[in-house]
Amino acid sequence: MGAADIQATEAARAPWHRRLSATLLYGRNIDRPAKAKARIGLAIVAFALGYAVIGGRLVMFAAVPESHMSRRAGGTDAVATARPDILDRNGEILAIDVRMPSLFAEPHRIIDVDEAVELLTAVMPDLEVAELRERLSSKRRFVWLKREITPKQRTEIHRLGLPGIGFMHENKRIYPNGAGVSHLIGHVNIDNQGIAGIEKWLDGRGLADLHMAGLATDRLQQPVELAVDLRVQHALRDELNKAREKYKAKAAAGLVTDARTGEIVAMVSVPDYDPNNPREALDPTRINRLTTGVFEMGSTFKALTVAMALDSGKVSLNSSFDARVPLQYGRFTIHDYHAQRRVLTVPEIFTYSSNIGTARMALSLGVEHHKWFLRKLGQLDRLRTELPESAEPLVPKRWGELNTVTIAFGHGLSVAPLQAMMANAALFNGGYLIPPTFRKRSEQEAMQLATRVIKSETSEKMRYLMRLNVEKGTATRADVQGYYVGGKTGTSEKVINGRYSKTKVLNSFTALLPADQPRYLLLVMLDEPQGIAETHNFATSGWNTAPTAAAVIARIAPLLGIQPRFELPSADRLILASAKESR
Amino acid sequence: MMRFLNICVIAGLVFAAAYVYRIKFESTRQAERVAKLRMEIRREHDAIAALRAEWSKLDNPARIQELAERHLALKPIDARQFDRLDRLPERPPVLVPPDAADPIGVLIENPEIAEVPTSSVRAQGGKR
Repeated sequence: MGAADIQATEAARAPWHRRLSATLLYGRNIDRPAKAKARIGLAIVAFALGYAVIGGRLVMFAAVPESHMSRRAGGTDAVATARPDILDRNGEILAIDVRMPSLFAEPHRIIDVDEAVELLTAVMPDLEVAELRERLSSKRRFVWLKREITPKQRTEIHRLGLPGIGFMHENKRIYPNGAGVSHLIGHVNIDNQGIAGIEKWLDGRGLADLHMAGLATDRLQQPVELAVDLRVQHALRDELNKAREKYKAKAAAGLVTDARTGEIVAMVSVPDYDPNNPREALDPTRINRLTTGVFEMGSTFKALTVAMALDSGKVSLNSSFDARVPLQYGRFTIHDYHAQRRVLTVPEIFTYSSNIGTARMALSLGVEHHKWFLRKLGQLDRLRTELPESAEPLVPKRWGELNTVTIAFGHGLSVAPLQAMMANAALFNGGYLIPPTFRKRSEQEAMQLATRVIKSETSEKMRYLMRLNVEKGTATRADVQGYYVGGKTGTSEKVINGRYSKTKVLNSFTALLPADQPRYLLLVMLDEPQGIAETHNFATSGWNTAPTAAAVIARIAPLLGIQPRFELPSADRLILASAKESR
Repeated sequence: MMRFLNICVIAGLVFAAAYVYRIKFESTRQAERVAKLRMEIRREHDAIAALRAEWSKLDNPARIQELAERHLALKPIDARQFDRLDRLPERPPVLVPPDAADPIGVLIENPEIAEVPTSSVRAQGGKR
């Protein structure tokens, strides 16, 4: 007998009213136990699912380490977000974050504004009363009262027990070296966002996006290592400051680069500013002259012209050019400062810094070749480095023969000094143009970026000329015993009211260290130096920038690990002879 | 039989509940400890950063130079003061054996070793 039959007979036996309700509820002839079984099955599935979800969630909690969930908890933390530390090439700190409390108020929660103002100004007398009152009675939900207060002030204000006044800990950027590296690393604003120099570059690398997402609050970010050497930077800055004072110059600038990697080991432009006090940076006299200024580089540019001539193969070291009479060009006459009034060979043109000779040399190769060569060396396009500040070179719109004549000796084309140094490095390091960088870079990495611009034999000859110039040219005062320095002086007349001034000059000096195997290149610039008694009232480059460069080299060479060598033969025997051997 | 099973299950339930409670309590405690340690680590990091900033401020070359110029008689190094390692002179001969109890007594007993010239280059073939 089946269950349905039992049910049916039972249902038949039940009283009529129960039968009626059963019919209304389940319908007639329904197998109730089977239905109940199915219901229980459904309940089991539902519960099992519920437990499975709970179990799964537990596994998820256990597997994922508690991360940003708990980090949000500290509400009084980190408005200004963390930035990575900046280190120099030896790991010395150039910029670091330090946490400082900042004072804020929630005006809607303040009960007695007058009392709050009175008590707060008692603790911090430098708060402006009227401004404070205005801020505290404003309708806003949140106002800053003072950023970066001292821990002592913090405890005192905490003791006042004012409602609606609180503290937040913020990261404050500290530059322990003050003005020493200002132009290089730049600075940040009050919200710890980079607004100049390497700091801005850091933001451009995605740090700004992290800030936006509120994720960059941890200080465990990888520090950034720069190529700069703090000791060299300091020595250079110290010597430039001394020179600026001694020669009463308006400004001074200096640059040390590694000739083989393009790393910038030191970069100074004085007057500079203290990045801890960024307001100073707004002063236009404190700009970075090496990247944001463009200048007519003067005779240091002759190195490029001579290299171009030697590299073309049409001119050799024994070629000679007529410098007997000033070069007439239209209504312009090109004179020589150290006029010899005779036919000069190429080394003589370089060591006497002959304008006529270099002009004739450039003319012999033609305007197009000159332009092509300078473009190849990156002198006609804007140079971009990590620093956001860069200046476009001022290139003449119509480049005729007269332009070639003047540009040959460094007038009529204004470039950023950093750019000129990049080209100079290529002339001496064997002919490789390497884009300069502020970050550490190995020689292999540099070689991947390098492009060959001149032949290595030409580079050899250029080194010889640089050393020769120190041995018996205009740069004799730049010689430092033991370091075999090579160098080229440059005095360019500044344009005042559209004419070249005879008294206001911009002096520069490029030095090669050591000249036979160049490792470092040094640039020293003095803006409007004055003639003083010690220099017999001369204000040309050989009298001020050359001795400054010598003083710098004597200080930085030991720091850069250059071994002093004595009793080295003269340039024509050491450099030229080895060049002939290698060929 | 059924009753015994029920008792077993109830006992198991009570035990499990107690155990879960214990685990939960323990984990809360551990979580608090983790939070505390994390906070401490963070505070230590901040303190280290502050000290490092201070150290590099004190170690700044400009400051050191100023102090050195004021207090020391030292002068900037000259290129001639460098030399190669292989041109270093030999170590001077040791006059007295290092383990001698009374070095002056040894010198008095052997007056001939006091005659050794005080040059920085030791005599040819002289050992020790």
